[in-house]
Amino acid sequence: MAALTGTMSWFCCGNSWGPCGTAGHGACGTCNSGSYQHAWPNASAACFDITRPDRCGVSMTRRGCGFRHYTTNRCNGKRVGTTIADCGPQTDLWCGERACCGSVCGTNRIVDLTPAAFSQIGSLSSGLLPCSVDTV
Amino acid sequence: MTETVDRRRLLTSAVVGSAALAGATALGSLAPEAAFAADAQPVEPGAPDPNFAEGRVTGISAGMLFVTGSDMALWRIRITGGTSVWKLRPTTFDQVAVGDGLYARGLRLPDGTLAADSVWVNIVNVHAHIAAIGRNVLHLDHKGKRIVGHVVPGTSAARYNDTPAVADMSLLRVGKHVQVIGAWVPDTNEVEIATVYAAA
Repeated sequence: MAALTGTMSWFCCGNSWGPCGTAGHGACGTCNSGSYQHAWPNASAACFDITRPDRCGVSMTRRGCGFRHYTTNRCNGKRVGTTIADCGPQTDLWCGERACCGSVCGTNRIVDLTPAAFSQIGSLSSGLLPCSVDTV
Repeated sequence: MTETVDRRRLLTSAVVGSAALAGATALGSLAPEAAFAADAQPVEPGAPDPNFAEGRVTGISAGMLFVTGSDMALWRIRITGGTSVWKLRPTTFDQVAVGDGLYARGLRLPDGTLAADSVWVNIVNVHAHIAAIGRNVLHLDHKGKRIVGHVVPGTSAARYNDTPAVADMSLLRVGKHVQVIGAWVPDTNEVEIATVYAAA
C-alpha cells in the first residue's frame, strides 16, 4: 500500500485519570495509553459508519484489531509501529483540516495514537501533526 | 541521531552520577518538541513502552516524582535540569504538585527509575461539542459529561482549520465540535485551555 498522508492526534484509553478516567479499553478491548497502539477509522463496518473518511475523500482500507501500521511524523521523520486497538478518529468531523510544519502539510485526520506512541515521535502538547501511515 | 543519543547519555549519566547538566542546552533545545531521545530498545507494536509512564503524583522529593499509575504501577521519575516540563505551557519542575496527573517519557534505568526527557502534567486531549460559551469559558459536552474549559488570557489559543494559532476565540460556536489540548484541574471537571482546534 502506498503511504496514506493526513494528520494525527492522540487519545487516552485504559485506566487513566481526569477526563480520560472513563475512556475504557477501546473498541478492541485491549487499548492502553502506555502501549504502542492506535485508533483506525476503518476498523470495522460499524466503525466506518461513524468515522466516514470517504466524506472527506479519503480512501482507507478496512483493517481489524491488532493490525500493524507504521506512522511517521512528517515534521521530524520519526516513526512508530502500532497496532489497531480502537475505532477513530472521526474523520468526517474535520474534513479539510490541515496541520503543517513549514511547507509540509497533512490534510484530514487519519489516525489517533496512544500517548505512549505519539510521544515517541512528537510532543503531546502539539496535539495535531502531519503524518503518513503505511504497513511496512 | 547522534545528537539525541548523546543527549540521552548525558541525561542518564547526570542521573546515575549526579553530574551537573550545565551543558545540556549545548546539545539542543530543551523544549518538549526537541527533547525526545532515541529508544534504547525498540518496542514491539502493541506492547507497553517501558520508557513511558502515566499516573498521578503521590510524592515529590529532591528531583524525584513518585507516581502511582492508573494500573497501580509505582513509578519513580527523576527530573533533571534537562527534563522538559509542560503544565498548560512549558514550565519548571517546581510547578508540579501532589495530585497532578502526568505522562512522562524518558529512559528506564537499571534501578527502575525513569530518567525523564519530557513530562506532560495534567495534559488532556478532549474531543467535545460546545454546549455553551461564557466570558473566558467554554462549556463542553464530552461523552455525555460536562467539562468546563477555562480560557487563560495570554496562553489559550484557537486554531481554525489550517490557520495559525490565534488568541481570538470569537469564531467558536455552540454545537460545533472541538478538540481541546489543555491542563486538567485535578479532581474537578475543569480544564485550562492551551489550544482549541475547531472547524471554521
